[in-house]
Amino acid sequence: MQETIKHIVADVMEVPISSLNDDSSPDSIAAWDSLKHMNLVLALEQHFSITFSEEQIAEMMNLQLILLTVQALAAGH
Amino acid sequence: MLLSSCTFSEIAKSLQSADLAALPVLRIAILRNIMLEPLVTYLRYAAWQLGLNAQVSVGEFDTIMQEALAASPTLYDHDTAVILLFQHLEGISWDLARNFNALSEERVQAEVERVSNQCSQIIHALRGNSSAMIVWHGFLPPIDPALGIFDDQTSHGQGSTVHRLNQTVRQTISTVANAYYIDMGRLMARVGAKHFFDARNWHLWRAPFTLAAYAEIVQEECKYIRARVGKNKKCLVLDCDNTLWGGIVGEEGVAGIKLGLVAPGSVYRELQQQILELYHRGIILALCSKNNEESVFEVLDQHPECVLKRQHLSAWRINWQDKPSNIRELANELNIGLDSMVFMDDSPFEIELVRQALPEVAVIHFTRERLYQIRQLLASSGLFDTLTVSQEDRSRGRMLRAEAERRQLQSASTDLNSYYHSMAMQLVIRFADANSVARVAQLTQKTNQFNLTTRRYSDADIHQFVQADDSEVIHVQLLDKFGDFGIVGVCILKHAPEQTVIDTFLLSCRALSRGVEDVLLLQALRLAKMRGATRVSGVFYPTRKNSQTEFFYPRSGFDAAPPLDSEQARHFVFSLDKELPQAPPFFAAIVSDIDAL
Repeated sequence: MQETIKHIVADVMEVPISSLNDDSSPDSIAAWDSLKHMNLVLALEQHFSITFSEEQIAEMMNLQLILLTVQALAAGH
Repeated sequence: MLLSSCTFSEIAKSLQSADLAALPVLRIAILRNIMLEPLVTYLRYAAWQLGLNAQVSVGEFDTIMQEALAASPTLYDHDTAVILLFQHLEGISWDLARNFNALSEERVQAEVERVSNQCSQIIHALRGNSSAMIVWHGFLPPIDPALGIFDDQTSHGQGSTVHRLNQTVRQTISTVANAYYIDMGRLMARVGAKHFFDARNWHLWRAPFTLAAYAEIVQEECKYIRARVGKNKKCLVLDCDNTLWGGIVGEEGVAGIKLGLVAPGSVYRELQQQILELYHRGIILALCSKNNEESVFEVLDQHPECVLKRQHLSAWRINWQDKPSNIRELANELNIGLDSMVFMDDSPFEIELVRQALPEVAVIHFTRERLYQIRQLLASSGLFDTLTVSQEDRSRGRMLRAEAERRQLQSASTDLNSYYHSMAMQLVIRFADANSVARVAQLTQKTNQFNLTTRRYSDADIHQFVQADDSEVIHVQLLDKFGDFGIVGVCILKHAPEQTVIDTFLLSCRALSRGVEDVLLLQALRLAKMRGATRVSGVFYPTRKNSQTEFFYPRSGFDAAPPLDSEQARHFVFSLDKELPQAPPFFAAIVSDIDAL
């Protein structure tokens, strides 16, 4: 799942996968603006059949947090 | 590939690896008063599928008027080919969208005028500033109109008001060159309102739509783009058996095929009707079928429920030649490009063959799973859509047919061996046994087209042949990369001193034109030789349906011989002292009981 999420982030942000690490965030990835964040949220929700809360959407602002949030939702928490 | 069948992440992934730089650029500008960023990704993907590199620039949120009126617009220039306009009702008139019941009739009318004037101003300003194709997305009708069930009862309700507003804008657009109107209500109906809107996205981002909605919207926009860049299709090439009707006319006869008012015949009748709708707007129809021409025209001319008639066809190739060659001939005869043709067939083999040999031809695969969806699939493809439909379009089919009749035919060939090779075809030749007797008998009873003697046998008859010392039954099973066809061919041999007689030689129509018959015959000749024969005798008994086998024996190296019992029958002999013919080179594997003897 970790790799899948990383790939989705890379594809949506249109950056090479090699440029991403756990700390990647809007601060380190220039393409990661609020619009791309919306695309990312919708892509992850569709891919994993999950729905983020408003708080989660606002908080998951780096790869590590996205990973934890998706894992928690996919596990049903 | 339908956009709606791919996820957003799959599309983003494909785009990452696409070599867009090599493709012609299509500049698209989007003016909007909502957020719709995911649409850009769908749009670039769909353009790539059309062979175009879409470069999309999106205007700032709610700046439609400014961008349209700008003296030196930054969003679009003279290279821009398409301008997409998204004017959401909530953004331009909150009153009409959400505060409707608070308005007096006069106030509603004034608001409709204000909004339609503003839309007209935008469209005219854009037309003055740019020569791009303008695509306007109409206002969405209210899902739950303001006056509840009474809304439908009055012409002053919210539903009627939005409809009136759309009509006014459409009227304006019809007077502006190269400007088009998309009925967003219809797109929403296709997807369903519940799956079209996402209220959370609206509140968080002012993005009213779901990913499914973006996919549907882009699918529709692409019909305009396809027509604009001249990639729309002009000709539909149709297979016959199991495409225009259910079943195989060569086997089941005109009365036996499925075509009519009840299922499953109704599927084919309604598909034919849909095909005629294309014909009447100028799409050229052609047939490409492995069949006897007379059988096909017997259906078209005589079947009472066959709505597609001979006069609707501009050209046809009904023969046993491979379909890519036939389609190439049709393109030449009709004087159209291969890239303007769509080929529809039920056979994965034919679809794959055409896809490989003629990649510029679009294909529609009529699979069993799509039986009930096929009419809809054809109707919604947009492949043939044009920006206008003229009187000339409506008579094009007749004109072309007359022209075609004057032209000489050309034949072309394709590198069939390499295609056959790619199919990974395998043959298994076995002696019939208790497990296969029933299937062999069934094949003798059902097979009409590739059947040299058309002798019908029961299970008991076949059992007798298997048991007897002076006769043998061999059969061939075909497998390819699409699956297992089971037993498709049968040969029954009767041995006498010196001579072996081929009593029965047949091949199911599912396995025609693949060289299977050549291998089966070669195996029969080898077997006869092993049994001590010096010659093999074969007979062709003509029937109404087996004309394709008339020259099978002479083509395979047999010599004409004096007639036997019947005057119509043609008798051939293969002398076993000469070299046996070579097996076709393209089979991946041939496993044979006879080679193992």
